Amino acid sequence: MPEVVIVGAGITGLTCAAELRGHAGVTVVERVPVTGGVHGWEATETREQTAASGARLLLGATAVRWDGERLLAMDQDGAHLLPASVLVIATGTRPLGRAELGIAGPRPAGIVAATVAVHLAENGLLVGRRPLVMGGGDWAHRAANELLEAGAERVTMACPDGVLAGYAEQGEDLDHLRKIHGARPVRVGGQPRVQYVELSNGDVQACDALVLAHGVVPLRNVDGAVWDGPRTVYAQPAADPATVAGARTAGSEAARAVRSLLESA
Amino acid sequence: MRDVVVIGGGVVGCAVAWRLSTTGASVTLVEAAHDLCEGASKGNTGITTSGADCRPGTLEAELVRRSSPGWEALCARLDTPFHRIGTLAVAVTEDEEARLPALLEEARATGAPAEIVSGDAARELEPLVTPQARAALHFPEDGIIDSIRLTLGYAELAARNGVEVLRSSPVTAIERAGDRITALRAGPRRIQARAVVNAAGLGAGRISELAGGDPFTMWPRQGQYWLLDRELGVRFRKVVGGVPTETTRGIYCVPTTNRSLLLGPTAVDHSDPTDRAVDAETLEEVFEAARRLVPAVRREYAIKTFAANRPASEPVYRVGPDGRIANLVHAAAIRSTGVSSSPAVAELVRSALEQLGLPVGEERPGSLTALEPLPRLLGHPRPEQLVARDPRYGQVICACEQVTAAEIAAAHRMAVPPTSLDGVRKRTRATGGRCQGALCLSGVSFLHSIEAGRRPEQVAVSEPAATLGVPTDA
Repeated sequence: MPEVVIVGAGITGLTCAAELRGHAGVTVVERVPVTGGVHGWEATETREQTAASGARLLLGATAVRWDGERLLAMDQDGAHLLPASVLVIATGTRPLGRAELGIAGPRPAGIVAATVAVHLAENGLLVGRRPLVMGGGDWAHRAANELLEAGAERVTMACPDGVLAGYAEQGEDLDHLRKIHGARPVRVGGQPRVQYVELSNGDVQACDALVLAHGVVPLRNVDGAVWDGPRTVYAQPAADPATVAGARTAGSEAARAVRSLLESA
Repeated sequence: MRDVVVIGGGVVGCAVAWRLSTTGASVTLVEAAHDLCEGASKGNTGITTSGADCRPGTLEAELVRRSSPGWEALCARLDTPFHRIGTLAVAVTEDEEARLPALLEEARATGAPAEIVSGDAARELEPLVTPQARAALHFPEDGIIDSIRLTLGYAELAARNGVEVLRSSPVTAIERAGDRITALRAGPRRIQARAVVNAAGLGAGRISELAGGDPFTMWPRQGQYWLLDRELGVRFRKVVGGVPTETTRGIYCVPTTNRSLLLGPTAVDHSDPTDRAVDAETLEEVFEAARRLVPAVRREYAIKTFAANRPASEPVYRVGPDGRIANLVHAAAIRSTGVSSSPAVAELVRSALEQLGLPVGEERPGSLTALEPLPRLLGHPRPEQLVARDPRYGQVICACEQVTAAEIAAAHRMAVPPTSLDGVRKRTRATGGRCQGALCLSGVSFLHSIEAGRRPEQVAVSEPAATLGVPTDA
């Protein structure tokens, strides 16, 4: 049987693995030591899908390089050279970065990706007491909630594309959470930390951090597979919010694409 | 009492410290910022020019010409990435093509090897060059270098040889007896000095004024840049630039030694040396200028934009003894070619100090002449050997740049270790890749906090007050 390597043990990667059973020997490489990705290792779907995948799991290993025939993955046991006929990139997504958003101004401290702000807040480190969160989707609301929970006094959200359905009511009545619809940060100011953000509607918003939580782009960093890698299938649903159903669909589509690549080989 | 105090921890000051460190002199290097390499030396194209940038017959041209042949050997000793890949100055219009012969003559007069090639030949040398190219000027001896690693490499070797390196130490006063400097105040310290080297970059005019030395006027020339993903950068074989005009050298597409692609710089004179803001209009111009030369340059490859200030001055290249103060030597007003001329500038400063009677004439036996290279995972041919050597090589912290826990730990054991997350990035590349830390910044700050013995809320992004977090209990 041919070998397939899947990078990312979220629901997408695990679904893809399950649907390749009987067609290929599958190894799933996952950066953290648990499966589940954004849906969490404790979710019922994660446990079911992990069992159903039937794949070899290489947990706590980082995929580093793909040369079209072998994937190099690193963990503390060493360097793993995994032969594969097809590589699947199911590494999830991230919000847009500052350069991608075209935000002008200097580079003070306090401009962080929502992924970082949430991770730090969960570990008790607050990136700002009065942060401005850019975005109106799932990441933005999670960041706002985590920041408030970690001790932020007030969070302002600048939501360029409005507020995601399901979150519309949340926080509108709270003094410490305010949402500005249809405005995007265009320029930051302050030194050494952020002091204000200019918005596209002309407002200047005082704040001590800018948390970037707008947009959804694929997170790709495996050398040789960042754009169009040879014999590579990309399974990174860009839906906001990320749903289990969306992940399953993306995983199934990826499995079909892998099978057709294997057949044509 | 120190034999020499070098003011300025950019590429020039660090090169001088490195050059003096193998002699018999006692040397202190003082830097105003929180880290070395915080000015023009970290924000530049990373091109080592072979002389095409310079006017024939100038000191600049001479120092660049003397430095150029030695890069391979020097960079091997300083654990600094360098590749002599050459530059193509691409002519797209008839007018640009017509200017090439004069530029060729000028380049040859400075001693820079150069040739005019046809559009087809240019595309053979670099297939990414636009089909519109009519001809190009090829400088085969130009190179690309990691200017941050060069600067820090100079400083590291200097520090290992006993040079005292003081950061966060701005010079606030210079004491004199007659026409000689006796001591200076740098941060909290008062340092007595037999001689002082002024390598203060954009601050060099002010240092000379404090010392009572020759006046020279300096101002910041701002450049804005794009950094594009290495998936595009690795496809480049040459540095690609436009045809220089009387007023500007224009925008370059530079495949960096980190394999990313740099676009820039612009050149706008202004007055505030702390202004490093980017603006959308200027960045758009940079992008369009780059696309005119290389159509494959696309916006979705962008990972970072930034601005930096390089020293502009009147006159340029003030290297040598001051006219009024007997024991002050300038290594200043070095406009955009500081990296390219730094080895020769350092030697010229050494010889000026020797003429002043300082003990810098002979090499000290037993001094270190090369750094042991630190193995890095990125591009390493035998990664399994790295993990066998240290299991932390298996722990990839920054996935984009493939920086491991072993490399971050090693950076903290350097003679001049990082004091901030920017410092970690400058030494290891961690957080400098296409996700700009979205995945790894918290992991890198955790490791830095442990390795530097700093509480998490005190972890700084750059200067000490630029903290990553804020206090939660204030």
